[in-house]
Amino acid sequence: MTQNSDTRPSEYHVASLVASCILKDVEAVKKAITEVDDTEIHATSAEGKIVFTIEGTSYKDIDKKIDIIRVHTGILNLSPVYHQVLDEDQERKLAESDKADALSYQIK
Amino acid sequence: MKNFNLAVIASLLVLAVSPIMYSLNANAADKETVNSVATLRDATPIDVQKEPNRIPKVINKDIKKARNYPMQPPVIPHTTRSYEVNKYNNKCMSCHSRQRTEKSQAPMVSVTHFMNRDGNFLAEISPRRYFCNQCHVTQLDAEPLVENTFIDMHSLMKQKTANAKEH
Amino acid sequence: MTFNRREFIKANAIAAAAAVAGVSVPAIASNLITSSDITKLKWDKAPCRFCGTGCSVNVGVMDGKVVATHGDIKSPVNKGLNCVKGYFLSKIMYGKDRLTTPLLRMTNGKYDKEGEFAPVSWDQAFDVMAEKAKETLKKDGPTAVGMFGSGQWTVQEGYAAVKLMKAGFRSNNIDPNARHCMASAVGGFMRTFGIDEPMGCYDDLEAADAFVLWGSNMAEMHPILWTRLTDRRLSSPHVKVAVLSTFEHRSFDLADNGMIFTPQTDLAILNYIAHYIISTGRVNKDFVSKHTNFRLGETDIGYGLRPEHPLEQAAKNNGKTAGSSTPIDFEEYAKFVSTYTVEYTSKLSGVPEHKLEALAELYADPKIKVTSFWTMGFNQHTRGVWANNLVYNIHLLTGKISTPGNSPFSLTGQPSACGTAREVGTFSHRLPADMVVTNPKHRATAEKIWDLPEGTIPAKPGYHAVLQNRMLKDGKLNFYWVQCNNNMQAAANINEEGYPGYRNPKNFIVVSDPYPTVTAQAADLILPTAMWVEKEGVYGNAERRTQSWYQMVEAPTGAKSDLWQLVEFSKRFAIEDVWPEELIAKKPDVRGKTLYDVLYKDSSVGKFSLDEVPEDRLNDESRHFGFYIQKGLFEEYATFGRGHAHDLAPYDRYHKERGLRWPVVNGKETKWRFKEGSDPYVKAGSGWDFYGHKDGRARIFALPYEPPAESPDEEYDLWLSTGRVLEHWHSGSMTQRVPELYKAMPDALVYMHPDDAKKRNMRRGDLVKLISRRGEVQTRVETRGRNKPPIGLVYMPWFDASRLVNKVTLDATDPLSKQTDFKKCAIKIVKV
Repeated sequence: MTQNSDTRPSEYHVASLVASCILKDVEAVKKAITEVDDTEIHATSAEGKIVFTIEGTSYKDIDKKIDIIRVHTGILNLSPVYHQVLDEDQERKLAESDKADALSYQIK
Repeated sequence: MKNFNLAVIASLLVLAVSPIMYSLNANAADKETVNSVATLRDATPIDVQKEPNRIPKVINKDIKKARNYPMQPPVIPHTTRSYEVNKYNNKCMSCHSRQRTEKSQAPMVSVTHFMNRDGNFLAEISPRRYFCNQCHVTQLDAEPLVENTFIDMHSLMKQKTANAKEH
Repeated sequence: MTFNRREFIKANAIAAAAAVAGVSVPAIASNLITSSDITKLKWDKAPCRFCGTGCSVNVGVMDGKVVATHGDIKSPVNKGLNCVKGYFLSKIMYGKDRLTTPLLRMTNGKYDKEGEFAPVSWDQAFDVMAEKAKETLKKDGPTAVGMFGSGQWTVQEGYAAVKLMKAGFRSNNIDPNARHCMASAVGGFMRTFGIDEPMGCYDDLEAADAFVLWGSNMAEMHPILWTRLTDRRLSSPHVKVAVLSTFEHRSFDLADNGMIFTPQTDLAILNYIAHYIISTGRVNKDFVSKHTNFRLGETDIGYGLRPEHPLEQAAKNNGKTAGSSTPIDFEEYAKFVSTYTVEYTSKLSGVPEHKLEALAELYADPKIKVTSFWTMGFNQHTRGVWANNLVYNIHLLTGKISTPGNSPFSLTGQPSACGTAREVGTFSHRLPADMVVTNPKHRATAEKIWDLPEGTIPAKPGYHAVLQNRMLKDGKLNFYWVQCNNNMQAAANINEEGYPGYRNPKNFIVVSDPYPTVTAQAADLILPTAMWVEKEGVYGNAERRTQSWYQMVEAPTGAKSDLWQLVEFSKRFAIEDVWPEELIAKKPDVRGKTLYDVLYKDSSVGKFSLDEVPEDRLNDESRHFGFYIQKGLFEEYATFGRGHAHDLAPYDRYHKERGLRWPVVNGKETKWRFKEGSDPYVKAGSGWDFYGHKDGRARIFALPYEPPAESPDEEYDLWLSTGRVLEHWHSGSMTQRVPELYKAMPDALVYMHPDDAKKRNMRRGDLVKLISRRGEVQTRVETRGRNKPPIGLVYMPWFDASRLVNKVTLDATDPLSKQTDFKKCAIKIVKV
């Protein structure tokens, strides 16, 4: 169905998640999260909830990173909350076409 | 000689096309008019029926469309004719599921789709997200009747950054 | 720039997760997602603007514009999800043709019914309006003024309108577009239970073992409830889904038992199920004997057409007694339904016997918890109230009611059909909290709460929606104000009733709308209107959940909310202009005051000071009038229901909650009504208590199958059903202006069976005319779309302003509910 060219577009992915942990394992989970590339912990609650983000270059990339974290025995539940993709190739193209657009509006 | 012919053909074409161009421009001008009535009816009186346009084709170019804001479900850039999504089959998942994206090179469903109602992460796509067509729609090759002046936050920020630099 | 964007979306992601976890993220306040002023984004909650599901959405505002929306993860209704319409809410206010000035038909600078629309100031607009209203009142009295409102009004707007019409102008000619939507459901509730609105709630979706959809395409019309139903069905393999309709649609994708029945025969199927339950010995005798009684209903009640119509001439009981009934016993009832054998019912309906039996077994099996859903298939039905009564029969015979998963559930179409139309009572016969104008005690209660003299509210019901169009045409209704709906496009029989009515030279028609709709096109004066989060308001959804929102952005300059319009307009009337001297004499202190003083400012509506409006919040109406008007209207309205099983929480609490389901007693919401333990109004020790009726019992009605008003014949050889689509909200006035939604579903096509097309020498895409006895409409043929009608029936949605299918439809109504049957009329189709 999808005809993809060989040059993969450059994408930026960010997902945010909440991990609910067994209280005594919070530190261990935090360590496990930070061991994965491009993760960042933003908050930890007294009840053992960790708010963190994973950044990456593709859906698969994010997915793999989640899979590494989610099997940790200290995690009771892992909730992905948010996932956004920035297609930076397209962004650039759009920015370039902005001028042309402006011109065509004037003609109208 | 050949060039000359082409030029003649081109000028004839312009002549033939110009009335169409003119009417297109007139339409575009109408759309600019604020406080006009019957905008979705092309100013046709209620007791008159304008001839319905042809059924437009589904846009099938497989070019991703930029989203207006985070969490807007992306529109489908290809036709989905005869795709079954029912109790037994989900054709969309044969390309977009996490197992299939390697082969299909289609975008994988977002990780949010693995979360159930209570916020648990499931191994498979959550059943509440099963019917893709409730959020994701194809686009037909039809020109909107009315422009929309929505500005997304990034454009707004860009404008502001530009303004800030000027000052 | 790229770096900024990355940072920005990452901050968004963190904020969302922090909100879910309920933790505060250091250095990032939830609303201030980055430190920079440039990226300042304020998030707030609001109910969705569209259907009756009542999803909560988070709305992101930057620089006075809505820039983003997404499903509210904290909302128990939708838990972070939206449907495709909901996801595009951000764009509905930004169609380029938003109206920003009143437009009046004029010739040479003066109002002229035949003139062209020209911009006027609000002052000029109200001058002309007030002059026309006063002229009409003086000439023909209160019955010549009327208003058509909406289940999309906020609760406060609906309440302000009822007060203005019923107390101010002393006219009961106010009706909402909800009349087209769920009047039959109301009729069903009042007749069976004596009190309006569902006993169950959406929690039934996670508890039921079986779902039955009766004339409800939830997959398209209640998509988020459909996600919950799908979730339940696919996560629990024992769960069964039965879908009944007159044509195959998207909800059939999940059906274990999909059934296509001949239009109108749902009445027979419902009676068959009752017969099946009785004949297989599965009546819950204990429940039936303690909590129900049986009634035989009046029959041959006509079709709600004009009295001179041959069908009305032929009907025996289409007068005032149409809704009457007489007591019978269980044996008589059992005998009555015994006509509806599986053979007879299968033959009449076209549904195979084994499918009917499988359906009936879901209800009969005492171990299966069953939830029935219905929407327009039942309600837009010339026997809509009956259909509602008959489905309650089945749930009552088996005692499958008011417990988790056992739920006869009427789904509403509009975001506040329950909240504004039903609970506030913006109908021609109603008052707030299920009260009616025909009951002297109810009128007295309203007059007391409103602090008005006895006799202010007229006792005779006003013109309902369909009658309003007829009376406009007949020149009996001459001053008419339409707010928050698009009835020229929505109401049946445009050619014979609606259009000639609006254009009748005797009438002055005012239409308030954010956009120039078809209705606005037919008006004499158009008022530009603020919408959704451009104002503060409250909506009530289908599960009795009351939800509020704050104003988040300013309306375009020149546009004013319906509330502002109603209240500001009331300043134009001295009490002496509208009330007779003998009424004024009963309460002389109103002398010299305006309707604004009497109904709003000096009443309890005006008692909350501006100080109560949070300082950082927009509130254009309150700051204009000088008091917290939304709170005043809500609190006064709430006094009607508190202590009467319609209790609402204090106004301020709703701003903090993702809605609460009434009755809210001692700060607690009610999930299942009529059941001891979950409903505080149920008498201790009773188990169930249907307290809407004085005897505490629900009624089981013996009502037969009766044929529809119009069926296909030799000339008009096809059934036409109209309806909605997923991508557009009702008449499309908002969603057709969102490019993504427009491009997803630009035109209303006629969905046909391929054999029907072939027979008429038609192919997909052909230009055709749909012709009925009343008019015609052109569109193109679709033979492979999402709707798959059987041979002999076609389906055309009504969202498309350029193809008005209601030129073809019949304005036959349920004589009890006065709701139009948009699902059945006879047409023919020819190639153009």
